[in-house]
This record gives sequence, C-alpha cells and structure tokens, in this order.
Amino acid sequence: MSWPVEVKEFAKTFYDEARGEVHAVKGVDFECRAGEVFGLLGANGAGKTTTLRMLSTVLRPTGGSARVCGHDVVEEGEAVRRSLGFYSASTALYPRLTARETVEFFARINQYPSERVHERVEYLIDRLGIRPYADARVDKLSSGMKQKVSIARTVAHDPPLLIFDEPTVGLDVLNALELQEVIREFRAQGKTVIFSTHIMSEAEKLCDRIAILHDGRIHASGTLEELRAYSGAHYLEDIFVHYVTAAQDGEGGE
Amino acid sequence: MSDWRDVRVLYLHELRSALRERNIVVYGILLPIIFYPLLLYIVYTGVSLAIGREAKDRSRISIGELPAGHETLKDEMARDRRIEIIAARNAAGDVEEEIRQGRLDLHVEFLPVERGVSLARDVVASRDFKAKLTYDKSRDRSSTARDRFTVTLDRYREFYLEEEASRRGIPPARFQMLWTEMRNVATNVQMVRYFLGLLLPTFLILMVSVGTMYPAIDSTAGEREKATWETLMTTATPRRNIIVAKYLYVSTMAVSSGVLNITAMLVSFRQLIVSLAAGAESGFDVSIPLGAVPVVLLCTVLLALFVAAGMMILASFTRTFKEGQAMVTPFYMLTMVPVLFLQSPDLAFTPAMALTPIVNVALVFREAISGVYHWRLIGLTLLSEVVCVALCMKLAAAILRQGDFMLGGYSGNFFKFVRHRLLGGGRKPSGREDGI
Repeated sequence: MSWPVEVKEFAKTFYDEARGEVHAVKGVDFECRAGEVFGLLGANGAGKTTTLRMLSTVLRPTGGSARVCGHDVVEEGEAVRRSLGFYSASTALYPRLTARETVEFFARINQYPSERVHERVEYLIDRLGIRPYADARVDKLSSGMKQKVSIARTVAHDPPLLIFDEPTVGLDVLNALELQEVIREFRAQGKTVIFSTHIMSEAEKLCDRIAILHDGRIHASGTLEELRAYSGAHYLEDIFVHYVTAAQDGEGGE
Repeated sequence: MSDWRDVRVLYLHELRSALRERNIVVYGILLPIIFYPLLLYIVYTGVSLAIGREAKDRSRISIGELPAGHETLKDEMARDRRIEIIAARNAAGDVEEEIRQGRLDLHVEFLPVERGVSLARDVVASRDFKAKLTYDKSRDRSSTARDRFTVTLDRYREFYLEEEASRRGIPPARFQMLWTEMRNVATNVQMVRYFLGLLLPTFLILMVSVGTMYPAIDSTAGEREKATWETLMTTATPRRNIIVAKYLYVSTMAVSSGVLNITAMLVSFRQLIVSLAAGAESGFDVSIPLGAVPVVLLCTVLLALFVAAGMMILASFTRTFKEGQAMVTPFYMLTMVPVLFLQSPDLAFTPAMALTPIVNVALVFREAISGVYHWRLIGLTLLSEVVCVALCMKLAAAILRQGDFMLGGYSGNFFKFVRHRLLGGGRKPSGREDGI
C-alpha cells in the first residue's frame, strides 16, 4: 500500500554556535493515510517543527528518508512542495498585497493551472468568507481575517497534503475553533492533514491518529483508543505524561 | 519554460509589493524625479536673487580730494548708476569704523606717487596719483564697491592715457607692448558635456546606490523580519527562481533609479542653463550625444547589477531591516569612494582603472558623454563588471545552499561566513545545514 506520507528514520542534527551539535530529531517513523488528520503531539522543543520543516523540504534531513505522494523529499523537493501546503506561525503573509492577490500569487507560484487560477481564487474567497475584505491589504486585516487568508494561501494550489504546524498559536478561542472546523472539512475532502500541537484538547478532538513526540523521537502512535489501551490512561494529557515520563526514565514504550 | 514563468510571477509579485512601499517609491522614483528640479529651482532662485540684489544695491563710496587735473574722474563715477558718491570722511579711523559697521562700502583716497614709482615721470609726472582703497573684504557689498570703482578707474585711466597720447601726437597703439589673444577651441556644447561628464557619473553612482539599498534590504532581511521568507521557501518553485526574481527586481529598481536620475538631471539642467544663458550667445545644449546612449545605459545596468548583488548578499545575513541597514551601509560608503576620485577631471582612464569596479563604469560614462570611446578599455570594463557580478552570483548561490542561513538561524556576519563556511577556516561546512 502506498501512503501519501511515509517517514523512515528521519533525523536532523545541526550545529548551534552556543550549544554545539544538537540532535533535534533522532529517527522518526510514521505514515499518514489519505483523508486522515495525523497529530504530532509534543512539548516545545520536542522536534515537531524540525520534522515538519524537513517534510516540507525547508530543511534537509541528516538521516533517514521521507516520501510525500511518492516523491522523495531530498531528491524531488519541488514535486514535494507542489504536493503540500505548509501553514505555521512562522509562515506569514505579505503585508502589502491584498487578500485576493495573496491567494492568486500562491496559486500561481505553486503551479496551479493558469487557466483555473481565477476560478480557484474566487472559490476560496467565497468558501472561507474572505470576500468582504478580499481587496483590502493584508496589513489592514485583523488576526482572524489574516488566519483565513493564510489558510487560503496554504490550499491555493489544492494540494493533497496539508501541514499545520501549531496553527492555533496566538489565536483566540473562536478563531481556533473555526480553524479546527476548516481542517475537518479538508479531511472530508480526502486530504491528508498533519497537525502538530502541544495542546492536548485540540489533538483529542481533531486527530484520527496521534504520535507522541519527545526529545526528537516518537514514543507512541495510534488512535486515541489505541493509546488509551496501551497506556491505561483515559485522558490524552495523562497518556502524554505517561509516555514522556517513561521516555525520561529510559523505558520507552509503544 | 516553467522556470521563467515562475520567475515572472515572483518578479511581478516583488515589484507590486515594492511599489506599495512608501520608502521604495520615495527613494527609488520620487527622489530622482523631484529632487533635481527642486534643487535646481532653489539654486536658480538663489542665484537670481543674489544677482538681483547685487544689481539693485548701489555702492556707497566716499572719495577724498581729487588730484589736480583729474576732476573728470568724479564725473566718470557719477555716470555709473550703481555708484553713490557720499560725503567724504576726514578721519581715517572714522572711515574704517563706518565701513565695518556697513554704513559705507568704500573710501577712496588719492595720494601723490613717490618718485620711484612713477613710470611716466617725464610725461605726466606732475599729475600722477595713487588711489588708496579702504574696504571690508568680509562683506560682499564692500567687495562689490571695490570692483565697481576699479572698473571705473581702469576705464578712466585708459581714456586719460589715450587723450594725453593724442594731445602729444602719439598713436594709442604705441602704448601697448604686449597683446593677449585667447581662443577656446571647445564649443559651448563641449563645455556643457565636459561638466556633465564630471557631474552625471557621480550622481549616477549615488542614486543607484540609494535606489538599491531599500529594495535589497526589503527583499532579504525585510522578508525575514516579516516572517514571509519561510512562506516563500515552501512554495513549489526552485529556490534559484526565487533568488533570480529577487535579484532582477532589485536590479530593476536600481536601474530605474539611475535612469530616472540622469533624465531628471538633464531636463532640469537644460532649464537652468537656458534660463541663465538667456541673452548670451546660443549653443548651450544640455544633452547626451545619441551615440553615447547605449554605452550610458549599459554602464547603468552593469553598475546596478553589481551594487544590487553586493547589497543583497550583505543584507541577507541579517534578520531585521535595521540590521540590514547597518550591514549594507559600509558597502554603500565603499561605493561612494570612487565619487571622490571622480571629482578630479584629470583622472585618466587606464587599464588599471578599467579593472576597478564602479570607477570603470563611471569613467566609461564620463568619456561617452564627451564623445570619446576607448573600446579596448570599455571591453575591459565590461569584462571586469561581468566577472564581479558572476562572482557575486556564485557567492550568493553558496550562501543560499545553507539551510540555517535560509531559515535565519545563522548568527554570524558575512566575513565570519566566508571564513568558516567557504574558506574552510574553523568548522567545515558539513552539509548538515544544507537546505534543499
């Protein structure tokens, strides 16, 4: 069976002027299915962002391999990027473009067929409720409006894989809930969604399968029910603490 | 094909974004368009006012007792409407104080000539005199009074000598022992072009640098500061397309700044020269010879490409606009060094100069305006500039292969980077930082 996302022994070591060699990711394995939300759950510094940056080809892995929609992330960077949309707190919008120009630019630069760009842009503007401010410059928009435009630019080229790296950081409750709703819609459309977070409730409500990442390694992965069964805990918070504590004690677990 | 399509999309995106940024529009477009006409208007108005005031102000001159036989000198002075003869002062101390206080511009005292000084003792010795002028050189009006009186006195002297010669039956020409004849082979057009050749390259360098600075920082450090860099890095286009588009965009802004600058300068100067030369002999043509236009354009493009590459490389080591400005400013100052040398009209265009970036372009430009083309040196200049730009591109490509650099994680500066990552000093580049 071919998975939309296959990650094997993914690793990243980098050099930090102050800390010397840092092993940010130490061999991560996971697969994602089409039409599922796969959660990467971990504390700050666990290696979630580094893993997702490697998967989205922003960073080159120092070990292991990964394929996105059949394309190798090292050898076929452009094809991989064409197959995914990457959303994170560090991927901001161009303040001097309007919302419409932003979506159009990302559709074009991600090689969405030229003749269908206009149609796609208008569809997203309507679908995400952007129309009232579609021609306003991004720097004039509220954070909630910007979030919608960011989602629109992420999916502008209609990729099969969507990566959301801690997308609700800095959002208020209502906007965070709205984002979750949009992600569910993407899942319903058959897209693969990788969702990284350190907020347990989000992962619990949204993710079909969850991987617990700690200190650059995945210590458990499965559906919430499977994790409950493995750990003997009911709440995700307790499950997470169980695996992290076990990892710190050197026991590990699956 | 899709590469150029992507570059076009990115390039238009950069331009659109830039043209909505006030600072870029002001420094890159409005400044060249408005600056020169405004500057020259101010200069013209200032000069006109100064000339007008000077013409309007009458020189207040007091004169002592005229020597015998020279009473008509006073009439000669009275004929000049710009001179006002006012009552003579007696005490020398009073006169000086009056002049210092600005109530008097010049005092003229007529003294007898000592015996040894008179050259024509046998002819007019008894009527010789020496004019002693007291004035304040620190005041324009006093200096003007001195000049006006001197002109009147010279005219009177000539008239007096001619009359004396005539009375004694000597032809006036016999008073002359030395004649000077001057002939400037340069036409007015050539003279104007000579001055343009001194002025335009200087302003070209200045304005290309000013016009490049903001876009170069904005498209590199600015992207990091706005957190749009990573957004761009996750797009499906190859990274080289992003760099090519940004480079083209910054170069476009640099070229447009240079071209607008030269055009605005020429138009403004034309107006100024026409106004100042009104009534003077014709032939003041403020323009670049048509044949020089391709060379001038080529120079502008080469200069822009080099300055854009240099500034972009340096600015890309920074994470905020302010850091970018601090990093790029030394390079900007460096580009200004040739400007100092260009102030010397005798700076020769030698092979060594042709190999020196920026100076070479300015010298080609200067010569082309005057209609001089040293093709071998122009060829060397092209070669030198192309090599410089190619080296910059190679350096930029090496820099952009570094993953931590791409993500803004690299904390060193340009020189540290060259030492450690490119020259292999200290820690070797392991490829672990490589982006894809």
